[in-house]
Amino acid sequence: MKGVFYFSLAALMVSVAVPATALSDSSSGKALYTVKDGYKVDPDTMQGFRTWRAAACDRCHGPNQEGMVGPSLLEGLKVLSAEEFKTTVLAGRLDKGMPSFGENPRVSEHIDQLYAYLKGRSDGAITRAKVEQMEK
Amino acid sequence: MKLSLKQQIVAACACVCSGAALADAALEKAMQDPGNWAAQAGDNYNQRYSTLNQITAENAAKLQVAWTFSTGVLRGHEGSPLVIGDMMYIHTPFPNNVFALDLKTHEIVWKYEPKQDSSVVAQMCCDTVYRGLAFGDDKIFLQRADSTLEALDAKTGKVLWSVVNGDPKLGAVATNAPHVFGDKVITGVSGGEWGVRGHLTAYDLKTGKLAWRAYSTGPDAEMLMDPDKTMTWTDGKLAPVGKDSSLKTWKGDQWKIGGGTTWGWYSYDKELNLVYYGTGNPSTWNPSQRPGDNKWSMTIMARDLNTGIAKWVYQMTPHDEWDFDGVNEMILADIDVKGTKTKALVHFDRNGFAYTMDRVTGALLVAEKYDPVVNWATHVDMKTGRPQVVAQYSTAQNGPDVNTKGICPAALGTKDQQPAAFHPKTGLFYVPTNHVCMDYEPFEVEYTAGQPYVGATLAMYPAPNSHGGMGNFIAWDAGTGKIAWSKPERFSVWSGALTTAGDVIFYGTLEGYIKAVNLADGKELWKFKTPSGIIGNVFTYLHGGKQYVGVYSGIGGWAGIGMAAGLEKDADGLGAVGGYRDLQKFTALGGSLTVFAVPE
Repeated sequence: MKGVFYFSLAALMVSVAVPATALSDSSSGKALYTVKDGYKVDPDTMQGFRTWRAAACDRCHGPNQEGMVGPSLLEGLKVLSAEEFKTTVLAGRLDKGMPSFGENPRVSEHIDQLYAYLKGRSDGAITRAKVEQMEK
Repeated sequence: MKLSLKQQIVAACACVCSGAALADAALEKAMQDPGNWAAQAGDNYNQRYSTLNQITAENAAKLQVAWTFSTGVLRGHEGSPLVIGDMMYIHTPFPNNVFALDLKTHEIVWKYEPKQDSSVVAQMCCDTVYRGLAFGDDKIFLQRADSTLEALDAKTGKVLWSVVNGDPKLGAVATNAPHVFGDKVITGVSGGEWGVRGHLTAYDLKTGKLAWRAYSTGPDAEMLMDPDKTMTWTDGKLAPVGKDSSLKTWKGDQWKIGGGTTWGWYSYDKELNLVYYGTGNPSTWNPSQRPGDNKWSMTIMARDLNTGIAKWVYQMTPHDEWDFDGVNEMILADIDVKGTKTKALVHFDRNGFAYTMDRVTGALLVAEKYDPVVNWATHVDMKTGRPQVVAQYSTAQNGPDVNTKGICPAALGTKDQQPAAFHPKTGLFYVPTNHVCMDYEPFEVEYTAGQPYVGATLAMYPAPNSHGGMGNFIAWDAGTGKIAWSKPERFSVWSGALTTAGDVIFYGTLEGYIKAVNLADGKELWKFKTPSGIIGNVFTYLHGGKQYVGVYSGIGGWAGIGMAAGLEKDADGLGAVGGYRDLQKFTALGGSLTVFAVPE
């Protein structure tokens, strides 16, 4: 569980930063998500939240991503890489009950935003499931 | 061949109007023997009452485990086995395995493991539950999760016929038990959260040939509604539903993805030749997106077994705003209603009201709350038959993206599918209930075929300002609409009750206890902790002259999920102690059957 420990530490560091937090996506240098006050997020992350709701992920993963019949995503995204996350969502894990969302344009077209939102939740930077779009 | 509805009725009458439906001799014979448990409710009336009387209030405390059987499958185990003579038929949740067990030797005589695409698991809304098998014509009927209905030879397990009842790729999956009534086997579909258009479908027992299909929404001909003869409670009396009674209550063609699925327990009155069942929620859960009453979702239906044509209908929750599916069982009993002996239909709805109807005519007789915390409506107006919605709890009036708080009951209802039982001696109903409230936030969704079409986020929690538990086991007087007694439970009671002529009532709990309570006052006589939480239904049978009582254990279903849903209302969902975590202190997954008897 080494990875979890390091990521938790990172989350702690992120969450104490004020007033706004932006976590960089290392490949592009662009912020993966930006969050203020724990719940005001940039438009892309907001879209990620809408995607989460539209695809009804909460039915298995819990309204706060804490896990129900499906695993906790707060924990899961501390372990899964962005690529692994995308593969899992788009192809599914049918034997475990995870549907494939590759055929669902609402999900496939917003997979990066969905990742940003859930990563922000998992990092602890986004402190509640329901987010709002930050004012410009 | 296209026939108008009138022509269809004429054609149907040409064959059948001379008499009632042909009964299936094998099932009829099996049901007459009280030693059998030949149907999921023991009978066609959904009474869940057994005339066996060896286990009594006096000796129930001596009950001991007689034998056990592991199903080899995890996840939620709903329904119960069937017993016909020396054979017991056991089912499992997905992958829907079937075992035929010889009760003399406990040998597995045959086993059937259907091959199903595992992608169906992801399409199932509330765990991979399956509510059980049906027996008739020396066949065992298996309703697979992927919507295929199969007839197995009861002696060998060989597949005799197989028919596809819905397309799982579009979300039409199945969790319901099929039911054998007369010469037909009747089944339904799930998928109200996938925009599936619900229907009840009857197949010929012998061949699997389609007899009729009645949709819950849409044009009269496809719903098997007769605008002039299908009656509904209107303005204090029964009146014909009129033309396009469903179409008029939907915006555009939303009825095509309108839900009204049919995954509950059906019942049948042979004398009236009517089949009774309820329809589920309209899709989506966001009410603002589907203006209108959304008929005939949330409806009690009475249909002719031979033709499928609706004799009467009654919509309990017009324009649902809370996911109060109307699928719960319809119990048929002849009881005293406000001083008049009545052929009644009694239904404990998810919406928290218990309805007593005249099952012959469809007249609304009683509609009262069976949990005092129910708050979304003040009462049901007995003239219009409509619930009087409280604005504060109206998720439609509050609108999308507004979190409506403190609605009682929660979406899983004051009762879900877990069936109640009737006892003819007291004339009362014994009802396993949930005592759970919710916050409900609808939001805009788009329909994509084969994808979830939900449109609301829910948080559920024990009813506030009450005993702190999430369930009650109650005795209900359906003639007056009053609770006779109520026994609080720590968790939702998600197990079907059984009443017996020994004046003992049985039910299971989510912690995994099977309990025997006294008929008169609900006093606990005995309990036993089974291997896992109980969401199955208690059943009884006689073998070798001895009475046995059994139940599946195996936690899961929406009970398990519902417990988790939103109990953690804090910001990050970590650390809070909610009901589900509480439940984890008592039980873990695992499917088994435990059978009890009083030792010599």
